[in-house]
Amino acid sequence: MKIKHLLVSSVIVVAGIVVIITLIPSEEKRVKRQFALLSEWVSKSPEENAFTMLQKMKNIGTLFDERCEMKIPDQSLSGSYTRQEVSTYAGGARSYLSQLDLKFYDLHIIFPEKEMAKVNVTARITGRSTAGERMDETRELECVLRKLDKQWLFSQIEVIEVLKK
Amino acid sequence: MLLKRVVASEGEQVEFREGRLLVDGEELEEPYVRYPCSWNLSPRRVEKDCVYVVGDNRNMPIENHHFGQTSKRRIIGVPLW
Repeated sequence: MKIKHLLVSSVIVVAGIVVIITLIPSEEKRVKRQFALLSEWVSKSPEENAFTMLQKMKNIGTLFDERCEMKIPDQSLSGSYTRQEVSTYAGGARSYLSQLDLKFYDLHIIFPEKEMAKVNVTARITGRSTAGERMDETRELECVLRKLDKQWLFSQIEVIEVLKK
Repeated sequence: MLLKRVVASEGEQVEFREGRLLVDGEELEEPYVRYPCSWNLSPRRVEKDCVYVVGDNRNMPIENHHFGQTSKRRIIGVPLW
């Protein structure tokens, strides 16, 4: 009887551990989630209404640290930007496009320090301008996210030059 | 991921003259290039541990084509055919 109780208790404990591990996302999953949200909020469908647009602009800012270092020469972005500036810039850029799709591929995440994640990722932006011009750009990015108040926030984004003419 | 042809390796000099690709001053035979181009690019040397890659499709202006030198560490495979 004692052995039976012990076995049942062990099974319950093991099952509990498995459930906890499955349900609580790892730090890597939490970081990936931020990229998924950025992708969702930057992307734009032709049917997007003004309310959704404002909501997405507001949401984009929440993914960023109070100040984020950007090095994106293609977009003439270089320096430190506040959340508000990032939101405003994203809103301005989205307004030139009737359709926009941002996707991230091949995320490689490392944690060089506590509460810091360094991510190498391929970003692909496809879309169409309001004038009907097609856009299809792929860039490699190096991003740094810092964990503040249990949330991973973008604090650095840099475009990596893969091919140097 | 990019699919490009390696045309020169570390230490070699690459140049385009009226669409002709020159490596160390010698014109490279490129039967795989289907559409001729008129690209011009001044000579440059491939850096240490790098290769120079160019795509076969060159029927666009030089500034719109993704090519150049990159670290050998970035090569992850070769085409199967």
